[in-house]
Amino acid sequence: MNTEMQILREVNITAENFYDDAMEHGKHAAYVLTKAHRSQMTGLENIADSAPKVSDILDYIKRQTARFPYWRQSFPGEKPSDEAFGERLKKYLEDNLVKKRDAICNTLKIGDQTDQHKTWRRYTYLLLIRQFIRQVVAEYEYRVSFELDRKRA
Amino acid sequence: MPSEGQLRQLWNLSDNVLYPEAVTFLRRLVNEQGCATLPASQVTGLLNIANASIYSELVRFIRHQQERNWPESKKDIKIFYAELEKWLTTFRNRRLRDEFHLGRGNQEVDELMALLAREFIQHLVAENGVLAVRRASARVQPRVQKR
Repeated sequence: MNTEMQILREVNITAENFYDDAMEHGKHAAYVLTKAHRSQMTGLENIADSAPKVSDILDYIKRQTARFPYWRQSFPGEKPSDEAFGERLKKYLEDNLVKKRDAICNTLKIGDQTDQHKTWRRYTYLLLIRQFIRQVVAEYEYRVSFELDRKRA
Repeated sequence: MPSEGQLRQLWNLSDNVLYPEAVTFLRRLVNEQGCATLPASQVTGLLNIANASIYSELVRFIRHQQERNWPESKKDIKIFYAELEKWLTTFRNRRLRDEFHLGRGNQEVDELMALLAREFIQHLVAENGVLAVRRASARVQPRVQKR
């Protein structure tokens, strides 16, 4: 199996472990964005899927957090968070997913010295972020669909 | 045009070096030196120039902004541009050739510097927005608490 395939396999295994965290971020997103700001979630998913660099995704989260007050709202749900939605998401990507990237790279013996290794590290990190955001968006869509059903009823 | 390999290097550099350095650069100015964040009009102008221009035009714009006779209330803008020029010059003279294993030609250096500067400025602008909002809410909070 080549390195890209090994990375993909490890990322898929790891993604099972952060599913619960993604659910919490998805609930937070549904609470602050509601159905009215659905384009914010599709925008996030699009940038995560198309960006060649992690910093593009982090910059996007920062820009949206600075521009829109709903990205700066906390979450009073079952597992409340005092942190703003955007700040919490950015911190998760920068702290938790970096640790997971490092663990995968250690397992696959990917260092950070050669250009090839740096590229694989970036690729691993991008795949982890894409998986996480996909899960967040799925939970968001699920939550806000109930909101719409309630309104119709 | 950068080669495919150079583009990959640029992306690695943007994530591993330019992004954290842009965050440090701006937090040092705003949080440690007490400078104001860059106003929206400056952000727009700087982004437009960075996205559309060749490197020499970007440097000319940055120098022009430094040399303008800013009123006292806007002197932090001058500091920002002076620091930005210093960062770009240091990167071009000391780090770029090592990072990209470049020869002596200046045209290739300037083409890569234009791309690197664009990345760095985009990271600066994103951080600037977050710090501006943080400052604004810090100013509002004591007023709210007094009520």
